[in-house]
Amino acid sequence: MKRALLLIAALLCLTACRRVEPEDTGATSTPTARNDGRTLRIFMWSDYIDPEVVEDFERHEGVRVVIDTFESNEAMLAKLQGGGAAYDLATPSNYVVQTMVRAGLLQPMRKELLGNFGNIAAGFLNPNFDPGNTYTVPYQYAATGLAFNAKRYTPPQESWSLIFGPTDTVRFALLDDPREVIGAALKSLGYSVNSSEVEELRAARDLLRRTVAKRGFESFSGGPEIRNKLLAGSIDLGQIYVGDLLQGAAEDPNLKVFLPREGTTISTDTLVLLRSSPNPALARRFVDFVLDPEVSAAISNYTYYGNPNAKAQPLLDPFLRSQRAFNPTAEDFSSGRVEFINELPRGTTTRLYDRIWTELKAR
Amino acid sequence: MVFAFLYLPILVLIVFSFNDSRFGATWEGFTLRWYGVLAARSDVREALGNTLLVALSSTVISTVLGTLVGLGLWRYSFRFRTGLTFLLVLPIVIPDVVMGVSLLMFYALVRSGLELTGWTFDNGFWTVMLAHVTFQISYVALTVRSRLAGYGPELEEAARDLGANGVQSFLRVILPLALPGVLAGALLAFTLSLDDFVVTYFTSGSGFRTLPVVIYTSVRRGVTPDINALSTLLVLFTVVAILVGNAILRPRRGRA
Repeated sequence: MKRALLLIAALLCLTACRRVEPEDTGATSTPTARNDGRTLRIFMWSDYIDPEVVEDFERHEGVRVVIDTFESNEAMLAKLQGGGAAYDLATPSNYVVQTMVRAGLLQPMRKELLGNFGNIAAGFLNPNFDPGNTYTVPYQYAATGLAFNAKRYTPPQESWSLIFGPTDTVRFALLDDPREVIGAALKSLGYSVNSSEVEELRAARDLLRRTVAKRGFESFSGGPEIRNKLLAGSIDLGQIYVGDLLQGAAEDPNLKVFLPREGTTISTDTLVLLRSSPNPALARRFVDFVLDPEVSAAISNYTYYGNPNAKAQPLLDPFLRSQRAFNPTAEDFSSGRVEFINELPRGTTTRLYDRIWTELKAR
Repeated sequence: MVFAFLYLPILVLIVFSFNDSRFGATWEGFTLRWYGVLAARSDVREALGNTLLVALSSTVISTVLGTLVGLGLWRYSFRFRTGLTFLLVLPIVIPDVVMGVSLLMFYALVRSGLELTGWTFDNGFWTVMLAHVTFQISYVALTVRSRLAGYGPELEEAARDLGANGVQSFLRVILPLALPGVLAGALLAFTLSLDDFVVTYFTSGSGFRTLPVVIYTSVRRGVTPDINALSTLLVLFTVVAILVGNAILRPRRGRA
């Protein structure tokens, strides 16, 4: 028995060690993968691509596209790290990309092979989580805003102070996500959403403590849930991903959203090519297909999430283009008014964020 | 009150599956559209087939094996009996995530072992099915054992005295006694397999989906109405399955 356990431990070590080998450039595939060139396997968020786009690609290439879905970045990581699942492409959020690179899960995208890569807007090129876009192509993004139901409540100003300020009468809900909530507090204090300064984090913690102690604080909730609370009128203001809100606003024009003037967080979902990809060439063709302005616009018109494709902008639904919160300007990006949520340095900083969040949730 | 809390959400879900609104935010009128959309979704049909295939095959295997284990635990006393019972309880109390991830690691291990011999496999139907068997066996074995717990070894001795050989006493005496336990265990195993998300998610490889995986992974980005329709159908199916199960089990219980 003991010997068997030892053997298992040794083998586990072997497989684990193999997984962290340094990245190379080759279009290699694992021996388990079926390299038939006729099936493309994508691992993505659910309801995150227009089914017609997928059908078009299938017809165009004469292949089958299989889309499996995940519900959190963490669950996706766990499944990919375990092996045995040969996907070609995945759509991680920007703040897990570095983790995936370190774990040796990705192979370089080789953007020089993508004819449509030049369509990407400048603000999304060369992001700090992936310098030079070695591994990632931006797919869709979501800024975080404050939403309200104009039929019931009109905010006097577009500011975080509606929530974090001294007023106690506004009823509000926050997203159930540590980086979003702590990030919003940091932004309203004029700091970076990725701050690792103890003093700044302490200030954010104190602000949040006071905030969730207010009478008006309703709950920490998910995006679609907050949208429903706004519709029902049980809250006046809700922190929300702009895409989630716009889905509701398409049906009820009273739902509105703004990006607070102090600044806010933004996250991108990216397309990455997995090391386990059985068909990297086909996968690249798909990425290139998605980068086509018309295809890219069709996807955003379906998901209501932000579009990083400069050439797709004129093809977007006029409703989306009219939304200020849907379209952060180049200046918003360069001035740091909208700021990407980055992976935190390990150690003290991560623990600080964890502690603040635990304390807030345990209140 | 308690019943209201338990069943109202299901009722709301059923009502919203008839809502003519893509994002389900507001009530836009009655429609059967989502059931049409659902019927047209080939991935859902495929997932349904996979779910049933896995549930049926894993239930058959785990019922046979689990029954044998349960009988063994009841009939014989041996050195590792306590240890074995402990091992059986383990899959029931262990968190699903731990089980899913460890099975995933285990398969990776087997795969890398096989690679040396030139053989290999992808995670898919077989890995999911075997994973389900691993936790189903426990439930079957424990229900079978507790079903027999009241009877002593004298039953079999009596059968022998009356001239039955080993096979006869097993088929004529012990198996009929254990049958309600076997059926209850099988039913339990079947519904567990139908419902399982976590273990399936981790062991399914790429391209092999079951209904719980399809449903669960859609939740985070807001449930689309076709998923509501699907859940409604699943609720109906489960209710029917329970009713059928009761109908099967009741008369036997009376006889035993």
